[in-house]
Amino acid sequence: MSALLTSRNVADLLGGVTNGVIYSLVALSLVLVWRSTRILNFAQGAMAMIATYIGFAILAPSTNYWISMAVAIVAGMVLGGATERVIVRALYGKPEINPVVAMVGFLLVLESVAAAIWSTSSRGLPTPFSMVDWQLNHKPVAMSPFALYEIITAVVVMSIIAVLFEYTKLGLQLRAAAIAPEVSRLLGVRVGRMLTLGWMLSSGVGAITAVLVASNYFTGLTPTTMDGVFAFGFIAAAIGGLDSPVGALVSGVAMGVVLQFVGDYLNSNAIILVALGMLVVSLMLRPNGLFSAERQRRV
Amino acid sequence: MGPVQANQRFVATTVLSVLVVLTSWLGVAAPRDAAALSVAAVIVVIGVSLLTASGFRRDHPVATRAVLSLVTVDVLVAASSFWSATVNSNLAIGAAMSIVLLGLSFLTGSSGQISIGNGAFMGVGAFTVAIWANHHTSTPIAVVLLLAVVAGGLVGLLLGLPATRLRGPYLAGMTLAFAVAFGAILNLFGSWTGGDSGLQLPYAVNAPPWVVHFYSSATSSLTVNSVWLADVAIVTTGVALFFMANLFASRTGRAMRLVRDNDVAAELVGISLPRARVVAFVVSAAYAALGGGLWTIINNAVTPSTYGFALSITILSLVVIGGIGTIPGAIIGGVIYAFSANVISWITAHTGLNPQGNVASQLNGIIFGVLLVVTILFAPMGIAGIVRRWFARRSR
Amino acid sequence: MIRVDGVSVAYGAVQALRDVSLEAATGAITAVLGANGAGKTTLLRTISGLATPRSGTVSMDEVVLTGKRTEDIVRVGVGHVPEGRGVIAEFTVEENLRLGAMIAPGPLGEALAQQYEWFPVLGERRKQAAATLSGGERQMLAMARALIAGPSVLLLDEPSLGLAPLVTAQLMHTVADLCSTTGLTVILVEQNARSALRIAERAVVLYLGRVVADDEAAVVARDDQLRQYYLGMVE
Repeated sequence: MSALLTSRNVADLLGGVTNGVIYSLVALSLVLVWRSTRILNFAQGAMAMIATYIGFAILAPSTNYWISMAVAIVAGMVLGGATERVIVRALYGKPEINPVVAMVGFLLVLESVAAAIWSTSSRGLPTPFSMVDWQLNHKPVAMSPFALYEIITAVVVMSIIAVLFEYTKLGLQLRAAAIAPEVSRLLGVRVGRMLTLGWMLSSGVGAITAVLVASNYFTGLTPTTMDGVFAFGFIAAAIGGLDSPVGALVSGVAMGVVLQFVGDYLNSNAIILVALGMLVVSLMLRPNGLFSAERQRRV
Repeated sequence: MGPVQANQRFVATTVLSVLVVLTSWLGVAAPRDAAALSVAAVIVVIGVSLLTASGFRRDHPVATRAVLSLVTVDVLVAASSFWSATVNSNLAIGAAMSIVLLGLSFLTGSSGQISIGNGAFMGVGAFTVAIWANHHTSTPIAVVLLLAVVAGGLVGLLLGLPATRLRGPYLAGMTLAFAVAFGAILNLFGSWTGGDSGLQLPYAVNAPPWVVHFYSSATSSLTVNSVWLADVAIVTTGVALFFMANLFASRTGRAMRLVRDNDVAAELVGISLPRARVVAFVVSAAYAALGGGLWTIINNAVTPSTYGFALSITILSLVVIGGIGTIPGAIIGGVIYAFSANVISWITAHTGLNPQGNVASQLNGIIFGVLLVVTILFAPMGIAGIVRRWFARRSR
Repeated sequence: MIRVDGVSVAYGAVQALRDVSLEAATGAITAVLGANGAGKTTLLRTISGLATPRSGTVSMDEVVLTGKRTEDIVRVGVGHVPEGRGVIAEFTVEENLRLGAMIAPGPLGEALAQQYEWFPVLGERRKQAAATLSGGERQMLAMARALIAGPSVLLLDEPSLGLAPLVTAQLMHTVADLCSTTGLTVILVEQNARSALRIAERAVVLYLGRVVADDEAAVVARDDQLRQYYLGMVE
């Protein structure tokens, strides 16, 4: 048993799951806004990064980690809501490349502003839990308290989102507004508010993700910290289906595991190339994603 | 237009030609330079008289585009010999960027798709040129540049295949992932690409003897070569522009615009939609690679950090601010790129910012980002669109 | 009572309604009839605020509805069952009803029980996805979802569309029943003039966006000219 737990394959599996939950969270964050507003938020990572800077760089470094995290989440939600009201609202009904361009522009603004204020050098966040792997019979298991913290946080966030959407009155309205905005208005749902709220939730999830990523001692926080994470998260979301939260979660974790093995057995530089290949192949087979119920468009 | 008007135009252009030749004789000391300038002036005169001749533009559209490209190249090449090395270097870099923008503009203008990965496609061309030149030192520049085009097109085809079935945002996201991945891909093939440090060209691309011959012996070889590199970029841009103008106007081009406006309807009309989309994507990748190849030649080296995610975003910004989906927009974007560094340092100097500070170093990104968002929200057709609307209103 | 006063609506250059005025009396069924493109759907959309009139007003019991948002008009007591029913196919029957009950004053359980009593088939299928319902069942669900909010006015847009004659008859019977037992005001838009005229007290005929007739349903039903030219009812 202990030999199994410390074996190379199990190590890859555990490491893969730890990375994968992060991709799942980014994917979930993208799905939340795609479902309701049909906009792929290319600034998702940058918005999350700004929220993290607000929680951890504006507050004094001695501030309690959890208070900083709460501030980051609130900041992320406010930023998300404001973005929907100010930028996104002007893009509804426009050609589909307009939102892409606008969100990429916003990404550029956010990253440049962050670098102007906080510089491009990496800032270490306090790491709330040890990153040293647990030992079993004097051999390391590929799981540290910090990794477990990441996984548990991801599971908690996903559960909260799932309960909110499936079992509450608010979730019912959020889903209805996303699927059938006009009918929802006829039933009294304040659709505009629901869209704003959807962006806030998405950005809240994003902020938590960025805090997790930046709390990792080896990553730290820079204005471009989230670029790579965003790319993986997008790939996971696109493979799973941009309108499927379940697809986002499953493909995020699956991708994390596969890529961990790729990195270990092949070459760490091949990881993103393989991810890109997976994306190309899966999109050719199922353009709307593996878990999507979306039908092909017709005239 | 009647014959009288045509005659008047001919007289006017002849007078203009004589004036141009005379001023060039007056302004230049060496007879050789003057002779070259006279040739340039004559080309302009012939070109302008053709373009203004009655019915020529209507009856010979391809020739019109050829003449237009030729005259533009001719004027810029003539002008480049008067400009400083700095201006010429900006011009060369900007001209190469124009090629990249032409490609992206075509992609969006014809198929309504967008790529956020054209910086990486530029990198493909840039590294193709550097790798090839390191292995085959005697290949002519034109051939090496063609290889870059082919390499860019092939990678574009590989990534563009899903474009047959993808809708805009998915494809955009995929190209973004490619842009982010490009650095790791270069590292993966580190033995060819030189890893983080990149590659030097084994030789400098200098002006050939017949060009050097035109200059007086007092001219420094630095100046001569800066002019030559600018001229290479200008001529390449001219050729790329000529092809692109024809592509925009061709049946395929028009068919693709139908795809952009309504893809389902286009399929009913009988246009092979998947192919149209992939072709547009491949053309944009190939054009980006050509621009990147030129950059390697101009800089005499290639570094991976140049072709990061930031470049892809810059390319997108330029094409949108210039005017997406149009040829003038791509040219405007190239000009903006050529001189943006000067403008930024001017702003830095006049606002008293610390030029080494964080804010100054990020000014470029902040300005481009804000312009990008503002443009797409309030003037989605960019500068070209604003100018066109202004002219349309005036002529009404 | 719903009062529509001199309403004109245009979509771009297309004039959908021209100076339309009508009244729908409280507790009665008012049928709005006319061919395709007569402006019937636009009329309902204007009442519920989905379409904005260029001129004219809509009011309900002296409360002006024009200018209010749809979300607020619904809260004043206007239920609108849209064209094509608007059932959310991805939701279960009960989720659809829960969504409708969101603005209802009373407790959810009672409201649901009331609808299941009126439409027993919905109670049987409450856990099923709405996508699995038949056309008639979907129409019932759409109506139940509007009724569960406790509206005083119900706007029905082509409830008989795509339904078998027998199902249509049943549905019309239910509407008439509801109207007489609860005092509901109904505006019933129909292309199927015959079945609508059978249950309506009053009938308004629209033609190319104008009111061409506004009378008691029985009178309209007897008018040969109206029947032939505007309602396409050929014997």
